[in-house]
Amino acid sequence: MSRFLNPAKIGLLALIELYTDKTVPTSAIVDVLSFVTSHLIDNDISSPALSSSDQWQQAESIVNLVISISDFEKVLTPHTAASGIPGRNLWYVFVDKLWKIDSLDALHQFFDSCSALLAKTKEELRHDVEMGIPPPAPEVIQLSRNSPFGAFVRRSQLEFTRLRFHDAIELWKDFVKYRGTTAAYYSKKASAFQQLSFDNVLLAGKNEWGQSVEAIASVAYDDILRENPNATLPVSTDDIEKLLEFQVDQMQKFGNRVPLNIRHQFHNLVRDSYMVPSLSHYLSYLEAWRAGDYATSFDYLHRYFDYTMQNRDRSFYQYALMNLAVLQADFGCHKEAIAAMLETVSTARENRDMTCLNFALNWLFHFGRAHPEVTPELESKSQLGTGKESLTFLRSRAKETGAWSLWSSVLMSEAKMCLSHGESVATALEHLVRSSQILVERNMQNMIGSQLSLNIALWDRLGITYLSTTTCEVFLQCHARYAIFDEELKVKSRQASMLALKGKYDEALGRLGSLDADSLRSWKPSQYWHKFRGIIELRRDLHHNNLDGAELLLSQLLQSKSEDLEPDIAFSIDTLHIECLVRRGNLEDAFTKVEKMIAELQEENKDIALRVRLLLLKAELLDKCGRPQKAFTIVVRATNIAWRARLIPYLWPAIGAIANILCSLGEFEPAMQLLYAVLPRSLECENSIMTAKLYSHLGDANVGMAGKMPPKSNKRKEYLMKGVEAIEKAFNYYSSVEDINKQCEMMAKKATIMKVAGDYVLANDYAASYLALRRDTAHLKI
Amino acid sequence: MSLNERDKSQLRSALQEAVIKCSERCLYQSSKWAAELLNAIPEAEVSLDDSRLSDASSGYASTVIAPNTDPAEAVLEANEMSNYLLAKSLFDCREYDRCAAVFLPETTLTGIVSPKEANATPKGKGKGKSKATASNSRPRNGQAIPKISQRSLFLSLYAKFLSGEKRKDEDAEMVMGPQDLGTCKNKQLITVSRVLDTWFESRRTEEGEYMDGQGWLEYLYGMVLAKEKNEESALFWLVRSVHMFPMNWGCWLEMTSLITRVDDLNRVMSRLPQNIVSFMFHIHTSLELYQHDANLAHSLDQLLNIFPSSSFLMTCNALLSYHAKDLVAAEQNFSHLLSLHPYRLDSLDHYSNILYVMNARPKLAFLAHLCSNVDKFRPESCVVIGNYYSLLSLHEKAVQYFRRALTLDRACLSAWTLMGHEYVELKNTHAAIESYRRAVDVNRRDYRAWYGLGQTYEVLEMHAYALWYYKKAAGLRPWDGKMWLAVGSCLQRMGRNQDGIKALKRALLADSYYEAGSSFESAADSMRGDPEILLQIAGMYDTLGEVEDAKAYMEMCVAQEVGPAGESQGETIAIHRDSPGGGSDDAGEGGGRGTGTEGTGVTAATSKARMWLARFAMRTEDYATAGRLANELCQDGVEVEEAKALIREVRSRTESAGGGPP
Repeated sequence: MSRFLNPAKIGLLALIELYTDKTVPTSAIVDVLSFVTSHLIDNDISSPALSSSDQWQQAESIVNLVISISDFEKVLTPHTAASGIPGRNLWYVFVDKLWKIDSLDALHQFFDSCSALLAKTKEELRHDVEMGIPPPAPEVIQLSRNSPFGAFVRRSQLEFTRLRFHDAIELWKDFVKYRGTTAAYYSKKASAFQQLSFDNVLLAGKNEWGQSVEAIASVAYDDILRENPNATLPVSTDDIEKLLEFQVDQMQKFGNRVPLNIRHQFHNLVRDSYMVPSLSHYLSYLEAWRAGDYATSFDYLHRYFDYTMQNRDRSFYQYALMNLAVLQADFGCHKEAIAAMLETVSTARENRDMTCLNFALNWLFHFGRAHPEVTPELESKSQLGTGKESLTFLRSRAKETGAWSLWSSVLMSEAKMCLSHGESVATALEHLVRSSQILVERNMQNMIGSQLSLNIALWDRLGITYLSTTTCEVFLQCHARYAIFDEELKVKSRQASMLALKGKYDEALGRLGSLDADSLRSWKPSQYWHKFRGIIELRRDLHHNNLDGAELLLSQLLQSKSEDLEPDIAFSIDTLHIECLVRRGNLEDAFTKVEKMIAELQEENKDIALRVRLLLLKAELLDKCGRPQKAFTIVVRATNIAWRARLIPYLWPAIGAIANILCSLGEFEPAMQLLYAVLPRSLECENSIMTAKLYSHLGDANVGMAGKMPPKSNKRKEYLMKGVEAIEKAFNYYSSVEDINKQCEMMAKKATIMKVAGDYVLANDYAASYLALRRDTAHLKI
Repeated sequence: MSLNERDKSQLRSALQEAVIKCSERCLYQSSKWAAELLNAIPEAEVSLDDSRLSDASSGYASTVIAPNTDPAEAVLEANEMSNYLLAKSLFDCREYDRCAAVFLPETTLTGIVSPKEANATPKGKGKGKSKATASNSRPRNGQAIPKISQRSLFLSLYAKFLSGEKRKDEDAEMVMGPQDLGTCKNKQLITVSRVLDTWFESRRTEEGEYMDGQGWLEYLYGMVLAKEKNEESALFWLVRSVHMFPMNWGCWLEMTSLITRVDDLNRVMSRLPQNIVSFMFHIHTSLELYQHDANLAHSLDQLLNIFPSSSFLMTCNALLSYHAKDLVAAEQNFSHLLSLHPYRLDSLDHYSNILYVMNARPKLAFLAHLCSNVDKFRPESCVVIGNYYSLLSLHEKAVQYFRRALTLDRACLSAWTLMGHEYVELKNTHAAIESYRRAVDVNRRDYRAWYGLGQTYEVLEMHAYALWYYKKAAGLRPWDGKMWLAVGSCLQRMGRNQDGIKALKRALLADSYYEAGSSFESAADSMRGDPEILLQIAGMYDTLGEVEDAKAYMEMCVAQEVGPAGESQGETIAIHRDSPGGGSDDAGEGGGRGTGTEGTGVTAATSKARMWLARFAMRTEDYATAGRLANELCQDGVEVEEAKALIREVRSRTESAGGGPP
């Protein structure tokens, strides 16, 4: 098939001609022109009107136009023609125009006559004046030579001249076939229509040839005249290239996979294409990569670069290496990835390809951060230097070369490093603001995602959950369609986990379910998505005390933990595992696990928040063992760290743990003071379990105070009531997260307090509801 | 000439045998021709019994190998059956050298060829016959040809010959490339001709007569001799061959290519056997020589009675109409042929020429489409496509397709000529001359190439050369006015006005010949050229100072506006001599512009003639005529300024001369 022309393009040309003939009525001009233009110009897909579901619409419209004429029908039928027989619509005029091209020769003439559509050049005008031809009237529509239409007309003409004869025949045959579907419509309207009208020579030869006209037609048009299911589609290399670029672009921009129906259609087109550009291998590579098919994607990547080497020679070798490295990293072959990327760096240096070099260094830095276990040997071996040094290097490079995206991403990395090392929040914020300024100045929409997710993390760490939810919402509402799908997924799961913390499990799961199913066909996001769902389910099961189910889930999650590349997910799985062990009463195992994790963390010098959380976990375990005092140093240290790093969501539980220890030491008064100071702030964190725990500590402290008061005194009663109140609150928070065990515990405490307070009726009531809760638990387990 | 059933069945079996024998010897084209003809004989309405009877009598006839009638040959053939089968398979796989080596290994060949060379007479090659007689008496030191059947010998030598042809084609460079000088030779020709020479000598009887062979080796020998440009002896052997085996069409074709004049044809015809194939040969060769007359048409009709659906004869029929300038009939003939054999590409290039001349663009496009769909790598298809592009004025593309045709077949005559035309259009005269020259080298009978050469040289203003080529063309087409016109104009340019007038008069005659001999449309076609010729003749007379003749011809030229309405040219001249005013009067009233069906209307030529006449009238002081003619010129809107000046002058002269007549 031809490189550029196909029947659809002939249709577009015909439509342009209709437009210049003023057959298109004024009311329809906008529709018709925008239809034509949408197929001539690669319009940028990221125009704001598009939601994620119509991302692929352009591809679909290209395919539809290529395979059938009905797209024209849809656009043209509603409009009436401005001239000719009244009552005929524009579609008829268009079809009529197509059927007027009634022989191969007429097709040649059609292309020949296209030059009449164009405005004349100066030389032509001069020539015309010499020849005495009057210049065209001013009201005639003429296409300027460099306008999109003019360029299209000229290109079509040029391409038609370039066609070899048999390609011209193919075009003609395809055109006959393309037009064939309108035969039924046209024969109704045009009286002279006959079966052989598609070729005037055959029609004219009918008298002369008689019966044998069929034989001749079949020689000339071989399979067109019969309905052939294997018939090829009239696709031009130009269309294929456009589609390929579009798809690659989409996949790289959004990290999606190609939707199935488009992929099928595209496969059909490629099958019938005369020449398949090597980019299609790249597309297959991306597809396979997203699908998680390591072997295939590897194969396609090599194939692509094998085919492109010949025309781009070695100067693009570094990109081949870079792709290879990214691919290997994605499939967990970290060592190979590092090796490939290091070679990329040296090749890029050799070829002086700065963009590639910068990207590679940036990537290496991030990779080193994410996988510290691979990097130590790397850092000692190469001259890349340590993280900080390479960051400053990158930043200065980015500033020099004006690589804005690199610059902002470096700034973000610095902010991230500040945060995770527990350094000044102000510095981190400063980096963030600078990066955001770059983003806004340079309008880098694709980077907003990472910026906002860093923002979300920041607010989270500062314990201002409200702001972080708002940021989530802002991202989803405004920026999700420019960002790659991964970021949307992360933010949604962030939201889901916040909801889960509030106990809104169903809503959380619903939020995850609302993600685009098509985008989830990619392997990595779908893995992440599944795991995240698993974690939420696991949390609910644990709270419901459904330990069997939880263990089943846990075993699945733990299985893939080693290959899990998201450290935060791995950490939450571990904590949930510990919680499960605790609920099973297996404190010893839980304790060893925590010890192991702490040791690992210290080695790897990871995020400080994780350390605090582990310390708190340890303290809690000790508390569970009934030796809260032993945890005192641990808790104080955790509090200290959390305070210094402004890790607010962990500071409050740490304070709670201190209050608990104070309670166990009998120091109820300071414990209460601490809790009263902390509680209001902790409500901001919107973490129900934490709040519930604080309240229950408060209740304990109150009851302890009541114990210090003289019996039957008002003071005692008052403290008891305060205790009940606090425990009631704790109960409510616990029940909002559906934590059965704790609910029971609170209920039991309440009943006990009532009994102590002498209110036996209420005590009985509470006891009864305690029993009811137990029954419910049994029920839930099933 | 109608045949009865028995004759028909005889003919049929003869053709069947011919098909088998030709394909035995790998003469594919001949066998195709015979098979086509075989199937063109209408099946008689035989009853079932008959066919069964004949089936029974002939028994199972092998369709691959036919029995040999000569017992000695039959024995030989039977003995070497397996070798022959091997050789034939190799030939079919186009491994020519290997095929030849089955029967004639290289050592044997050198044994036959080289010792002769050592003691042969130092006369050059190419005089096979005289040399053969010279060396006849001498005992041979060289190896004798191995004793194999004629069929095997033919096959091996033919394979050798073809391998030489193939190598020749491979050695030749890109068509019209810098190295492509057309000088590549078939290096195997010498070997093959030596071997054949030896073979025929060995079969000579005491009296010096050649023993009768089977006809095939004679054919090969004739062909080889023709390639060596030894045309007389080639013809001798070819005639011998057709006597022995008349159904080998390839042999007849070789003869056709050796005949360049009608006289030659007539001479050869007397030496040929009288049978149906020689009849066809006559028709075909006549057509190749651009003949067309009633006789030919009649005999073609007779043949068509016997083979009503023969594509070959139908092509001949169409070509006959074409040569008679009856384009419509030719077009219809070809169109009918196309409907009967839609997959047949042979000779469709002629069809495309006809459509080109008729300017039938859609149909030509369709034809090109059809051809390209059937096989886009056939020379015929390429020529058709080239013609179409030429009609679209896409000359570069046309050249490209003609070149492709030539790459596929260097002997494709029409492609060479047409490519020459395209180069002329592209103003590349050197290339044009070269391609025309190559066309002429391939086939000396192609008048279009001669004419094209003449035209090109005329463009280069080398009139003596042009004249030579125009004369060649005119010699090939004595009845084509265009040729004589060209000769005449050329002579005029060279200042040989007397000869030029003669040539142009000849052109007028030639046109009237067509007028008489063919149908209405073509007559109108040829008439259109007339005023120019007349004007030219008149102009030449004028320069010669023969004013009376000049005037007569000018008046005739003007008279063409109305047209002579079916009279012959001579009469028209006479009529207009009598009443010079009458015709021009009508024309002056504008009658010529549409009423006269056969008149040309006002053309540049007639206007020029009228202007000349008006000036002439001024000179002879016939002011009335001058004024009238000038007025007519004004009315026609040609050279108005000049005509008005004339009118003014006439008025002033009449006033001054008459001194105020009423």
